[in-house]
Amino acid sequence: MTRADIARWALALALATAATGPASAWAQDDADMVFGEEESGDEGADMDFAGAGDDTGGDTDMDFTDEGAAGAEEGAPTGDDALFEDLATPEGPVEDAVDEGPRRRVVDETIFAVQRLYALRINRVELIPSVAFSLNAPFVSRTAVSLGLNYWFTNVLAIGANFLWYDGLESETNLNFLVRRSTRLAVPINEYQFGTHLNFTYVPLYGKFAAFNEFIFQWDAYVVGGVGIQRTRPIPVIDPEVRTFDWSVRVAFNLGVGIRVFLTRWLSIFGEIRNYMYLEQLEALDVALGQDRFDPETWTQDSPAFTSNVTVHLGLTFFFPFEFEYRLPR
Amino acid sequence: MTTLRLLLLAAACLSAIAVAPAPAAAQEIQITGPLAGQPAVRRMRQYRANRIQLLLPTVGYTLQDQYSRSLMTGLEANVHFTDYLGIGVFGALANFGANFRINTDLTAQVRQNGQTTRSNRLSMPSPDAVEGLTGGFPDQVARLQGLVSLQLVFAPLRGKLSLFQGAFVDTDFYIFAGPALGFVAERANLVGEDAEVCLTDPPPGEGIVSDDCLLTQAQRKNRVAFTGTFGLGLNLYFNDFIGMAIQYRAFPFAINPGGTDEAGAPRNGATVSQPDNQIDGADRRFYYHHMINLGLIITLPPQANLTQ
Repeated sequence: MTRADIARWALALALATAATGPASAWAQDDADMVFGEEESGDEGADMDFAGAGDDTGGDTDMDFTDEGAAGAEEGAPTGDDALFEDLATPEGPVEDAVDEGPRRRVVDETIFAVQRLYALRINRVELIPSVAFSLNAPFVSRTAVSLGLNYWFTNVLAIGANFLWYDGLESETNLNFLVRRSTRLAVPINEYQFGTHLNFTYVPLYGKFAAFNEFIFQWDAYVVGGVGIQRTRPIPVIDPEVRTFDWSVRVAFNLGVGIRVFLTRWLSIFGEIRNYMYLEQLEALDVALGQDRFDPETWTQDSPAFTSNVTVHLGLTFFFPFEFEYRLPR
Repeated sequence: MTTLRLLLLAAACLSAIAVAPAPAAAQEIQITGPLAGQPAVRRMRQYRANRIQLLLPTVGYTLQDQYSRSLMTGLEANVHFTDYLGIGVFGALANFGANFRINTDLTAQVRQNGQTTRSNRLSMPSPDAVEGLTGGFPDQVARLQGLVSLQLVFAPLRGKLSLFQGAFVDTDFYIFAGPALGFVAERANLVGEDAEVCLTDPPPGEGIVSDDCLLTQAQRKNRVAFTGTFGLGLNLYFNDFIGMAIQYRAFPFAINPGGTDEAGAPRNGATVSQPDNQIDGADRRFYYHHMINLGLIITLPPQANLTQ
């Protein structure tokens, strides 16, 4: 223990004694007390904290205003607060900690709009199971199950990956058949097997909601984006008797936004809209004649088509570890 | 020195216990602070209670349309009895009163690559325009005209959000539902003898579709569909009386989106509906109309109430 520590503890002891004792007297009205080294006897001096009452003049009343506290150490609490605050303070200046008698100051208790994050994310891992379905695929219902994993290396930034499995969950809607029957137009479509993507997540928005002014829960909104692969193949609709297609891998980019609502400090529900974009090789609209009809080179279109699969994810997120240490700012 | 620290701590504690006016002092310290003893939300602005919320205007865009999209511009007014419950009306016109068309890519593809044969000439007399007779497939597509609804608004969640810890706005989340009227213009019915013009061959040398049949492609019929509407939204309040609404609204009702003959005949085991050589109500199918709306919120009176 250093001399500074000893001085701090001594100050704490002194303040505890000084603060708790006279505290009740402060509340008394019209208290005529003189703490001067010598009683001045000046009329009108209800309380005199000066070393000599004469020096301060005869009209010094108790002054609890900011001006009255001028000269006091900025930010130095008094009374019970001072005791416990000082006890809790690991380090701090003590050289000028001289008992100058009772003081008051305005404590800066600024309330921040979002004062404290409900659930810290930094250095936690987030496991994200969800179901996904497409918003912009009228011909094929693209349903998938998805699993994602994020590592939060700051409180607002994460790196992660997700995996979507479509095969067996997709289904062709009636629309394609109806369009073919009514307009004789065949729309080339494709199917997905799976997609897996690396992505970054950034949380620019967070806040809290009150339900009926009774319950408060936290939420945040995020943007997510990255790159990955999509394994797809065309569904033969132009010449299904001859054409069959194998799965192949496409490079895909994704960009989305989402909202996460915390149910506990480690469990949340989330909804996300993410656009998976890639270049798709679609089935050729023309059927080659003769033996060329059986040549797979003639089965696909000459140039790939930009494909955008706007997907909604709904699911849960689990944060690991469940517990985290929150350090209160002082 | 550890012993000295313990002694000082013990002395401090004893001193505090001995001199403190009441044992409750320690407890008071623990709960001392701006939030001590306060309700969950204190002096909360009530943006809705006993106020009228106007959305002037709302601008929306329909989603997942098969053949035509709609830009919906309208108004919304909600009267709130409490901060979480109110009733209101919503009305919107599509494409500024159907003054323009927004076709999907599928409509463009049908117009460009669709083919009319004897078997589908009732469904689509012509994919492309024929001068003086028809504008082609886009002429027969059903198009939304407008939407009017009553709605019950329930706003259970009230909060605020922080943007980069630098900008803060109050917000609330709400859901709504109610009855609605959907206004739609569809291809006119073709039944009985009217349909025959598209089912019989024209005189030799005039192709497979008669002029009379081509004329039916652009014939329209306005219809009002009774339906319901529901949705959810997020309001952002910039001050007591101005804000912005982001809203999702659904209003499903059956239409014949392509103006084609899709149903009416017995299925006879088929998994899809069978055409009956008529264009009528049987060809309508469930259509999930939905859209995203943005709106400028003006709340009256301009001063929000505060809770205790």
